[in-house]
Amino acid sequence: MPTRTVVLKLNQQQLELLDRTIGGGAAPDRVSLIKLALREYAERHGK
Amino acid sequence: MRTVLTERRLEPGTGKAIELLAGQILRIEQVEGGQCVDFNAFNLHDYKEFMHCGRTRTVHGFNPSQGMFLWSQPPRERAMLYILADTYGRNDVLFPRCSGYLYESAYGFDAHTNCHDIQAEAQREYGLTPDDVHDSFNLFMNTEVSMDGRATITRQTSQAGDYIDLLALVDTLAVPNVCGADIMRTSNFGLKPIQITIFEATAEDLDAVPKTPILRSQRTPADFRQPTIKADRELRRDTAYRPQFTNVPIIHQPIAIDLSAEEAALFDAVKLPQYGDDDAQALRDIVFTWWEERYLTGASGAPAIGD
Repeated sequence: MPTRTVVLKLNQQQLELLDRTIGGGAAPDRVSLIKLALREYAERHGK
Repeated sequence: MRTVLTERRLEPGTGKAIELLAGQILRIEQVEGGQCVDFNAFNLHDYKEFMHCGRTRTVHGFNPSQGMFLWSQPPRERAMLYILADTYGRNDVLFPRCSGYLYESAYGFDAHTNCHDIQAEAQREYGLTPDDVHDSFNLFMNTEVSMDGRATITRQTSQAGDYIDLLALVDTLAVPNVCGADIMRTSNFGLKPIQITIFEATAEDLDAVPKTPILRSQRTPADFRQPTIKADRELRRDTAYRPQFTNVPIIHQPIAIDLSAEEAALFDAVKLPQYGDDDAQALRDIVFTWWEERYLTGASGAPAIGD
């Protein structure tokens, strides 16, 4: 159950970078990639 | 064994434009020690391509030395020269060349040796004007960045016989000059001669150069929408001009991210306070910071030059 929805606004260049990253196998789709980024960022930067 | 092609002495107050062909090495050597040398370089066949200190310092830092390249400016952005050897190891790409204005404004001189005018006089041999002198690669120059963000010059300790070897990767007009600063710490308050030697590189020298990428974005005049060099000084609007900026218009697309309670907690724990209640900006920052940390091989804002 989602508790919060964040609406990202990304331009075509930012989306191209994410899509190439997905093409490289990092995640199956944009939402999954963004959630992966959040988890790994939090692991690295979390207090 | 390297073959010596030419040798010459650069006397204080002078510089020399030298045709340095691809595969040749320019050795710039201390005679007495303690002398800064300013250096310009142009593509010998197209002077509009030149060594760019800004690009060089983003790739290699403020003090390029042995094993690093001197790059040309965007959109050419090629490795023009390779620092094959550097026995002293202190060079600078922070400071501009010293100029007549510096010596007049700060010291009251009507005329004083200065790197801009020395470079311009040396470059004049090849038809270049004083406006063509560019930011210099400052050899044998000790500089530091202070905590308040200012660059400072300190004294140097190079000795007689210290040298730097610059290997040309493209045909180059290389222009070293003896720095004109005798009332600053740059050359320990003196002007001394410098020895110049040109060698033919050996196969071993050439094999020592790391490969750099050849990319579509490295454009030449053949790719320019305006390939003709402007030959008069007045700037006039081209009435036929229609802008063709890259990837314009920039169009944003929304992506809804449903966060679970656990993900929302993670997000709240790490989002940057500067974004306040703007979760969209905060999450975008996290995504691209993550990307930089995971995938970038160079410093942020610096091109990647490895294989």
